[in-house]
Amino acid sequence: MTAGTAVLGAPRSSSLTSFFRVLFVGGIIVYRALFNWIRPAIYIPTMLGSPLFQILFFANLGKYSGVGDTNFFVVGNAVQVCSMSAIYGATMTLANERYFGTLAQLLATPANRAALFLGRTLPVIANGLLVSVFGFIVGALFLDFSMPASQIPALALVVTLTVVSCTGFGMMLGSIGIRARDVFFASNLAYFLMLLMCGVNIPIDSLPGWMQAISKALPLTHGIAAARLLASGETLGSVAGLIRTELLIGATYGFLAFALFRYFEASSRKYASLDRF
Amino acid sequence: MPVVGAPVVEAIDLRRTYKTSTGSLKRKSLEVEAVRGVSFAIEKGELFGLLGPNGAGKTTTIKMLITLLIPTSGTARVLGLDVVKDARAVRSQIGYVFGGDRGLYERLSGLDNLRYFAELYGVEPHEQKRRIGELLEMVGLTGREKERVEGYSKGMRQRLHIARGLLHDPPVVFLDEPTIGVDPVGAREMRAMIASLTDQGKTVLLTTHYMFEADALCDRIAVIARGEVVAQGTPGALKSLVADKTVVEIEVYGVNDESIERLRRVEGVSAVSVEERDQLQLLMVQSAVGAEITPALLAQFDGAKIGRVVAREPTLEDAYISLVEGDS
Repeated sequence: MTAGTAVLGAPRSSSLTSFFRVLFVGGIIVYRALFNWIRPAIYIPTMLGSPLFQILFFANLGKYSGVGDTNFFVVGNAVQVCSMSAIYGATMTLANERYFGTLAQLLATPANRAALFLGRTLPVIANGLLVSVFGFIVGALFLDFSMPASQIPALALVVTLTVVSCTGFGMMLGSIGIRARDVFFASNLAYFLMLLMCGVNIPIDSLPGWMQAISKALPLTHGIAAARLLASGETLGSVAGLIRTELLIGATYGFLAFALFRYFEASSRKYASLDRF
Repeated sequence: MPVVGAPVVEAIDLRRTYKTSTGSLKRKSLEVEAVRGVSFAIEKGELFGLLGPNGAGKTTTIKMLITLLIPTSGTARVLGLDVVKDARAVRSQIGYVFGGDRGLYERLSGLDNLRYFAELYGVEPHEQKRRIGELLEMVGLTGREKERVEGYSKGMRQRLHIARGLLHDPPVVFLDEPTIGVDPVGAREMRAMIASLTDQGKTVLLTTHYMFEADALCDRIAVIARGEVVAQGTPGALKSLVADKTVVEIEVYGVNDESIERLRRVEGVSAVSVEERDQLQLLMVQSAVGAEITPALLAQFDGAKIGRVVAREPTLEDAYISLVEGDS
């Protein structure tokens, strides 16, 4: 008998099949397990109620103060509310593995780490998109938000890419949550930081210089600017530069997020950091 | 490369040191040697027990073998694969079960927990359904699999852990205190389940605190104390280490620590252990066969109420106590 021969073993999928199954099937199952607000009784007030009142609040505040038009606030907030999913949801899908005590079990599996990581982003992106679409519907129904119907496909594309970019940032926080405790404090901070600095309600050029510098390195900033231009009738080609920058920023955070995930996994084996909590 | 005839699990002089720090402003670094040169080998189809008190290094050893920790020094191989260099290959060949409540996705049903891990282990989709059904039947959760885990009892969770660890039908299984906190009936069923694993050709490493469990299940046992293997052999061979001893069991109501210390100092006493049983403590005192020490023992209790006093033959538990106290 050869010690290395596995005489037992259930039939295994090919690496490629397994990759895609972990990505899609696994991603959905684990999202249901780790996303804290999945039950309708929590989802509706948190993921839809909060954005509704945020949009109404800032649009009415702008109207009362006489600064900016309604479209400015509706587009800014409708895009930014995707971070309810892209920041909080993304953080939960990784950091909760540690909170729920399942991280050791997860890391002791042979599953492809890229599939395992990316699979978690897909439901987060879908959810973020849903929340943003809801934000635009709120704007149209309650705030007289309007835009040329012909611009809707281009706007949908830009919003989707912005949600993807913001999810990269959220996954970075989630990866930190694998190692650090209380990462949801950072998620709260990030959400309000974006509300302040990404041009959601305050034009970027009205911010102090140091804030402008930070805003340029954050996701959402360029996506929101592109979405506003599209809503006002500009062509997709004219906002291509903004879209490229938004994607580049999101991809940078996404790569950093995966690198951190792998680093914390490796360091947990070396420094036994999984056991410290 | 795997070696023909090599053990299925092999630990060679495994060591693991943890670095911790204390204090907030003036941080002080500490080094804790959790495992200090552990070596053993497990043959194919063997059920091998790793016994030791809390903090002895059992879980750290198991974590090194299942690739969750890198040894500070030493080597470990599973099926000839190095646990550090071939970590991914090792992971696909092993199953592991941790004792306790945690480690399951509470909001998911038992079935979805199994489906997720089946995906992570790459079990073929058409095979998953059959395998999960088979395992649910084996662990007695058929009919309850669609309920959320948050409503499961401790025993049900533990059984689900076992099913999860066997999803990919691994040839090697690591069980870290799988019956901890489970009620006696559930624990008995679980022991039967564990015993059946070797019948299926699997090689099993089991850690447990329960001596009767190790005695009933294990082909061989390594006793680990303070990070080192202090004895290794069949349950019978370990029992023979205390064959020249006798055990006096004394039931006492409200014994204090000083009395126990005095007992340890009585001439002829080689080991003392205490088991809490509701209102009373059961003291087990080991001494050489023929030593008449019972009157001297009973004189050490400061008027505490004494119940039943019995002398008996030593068991595996007595051998274990003797070993971990370093008196054997």
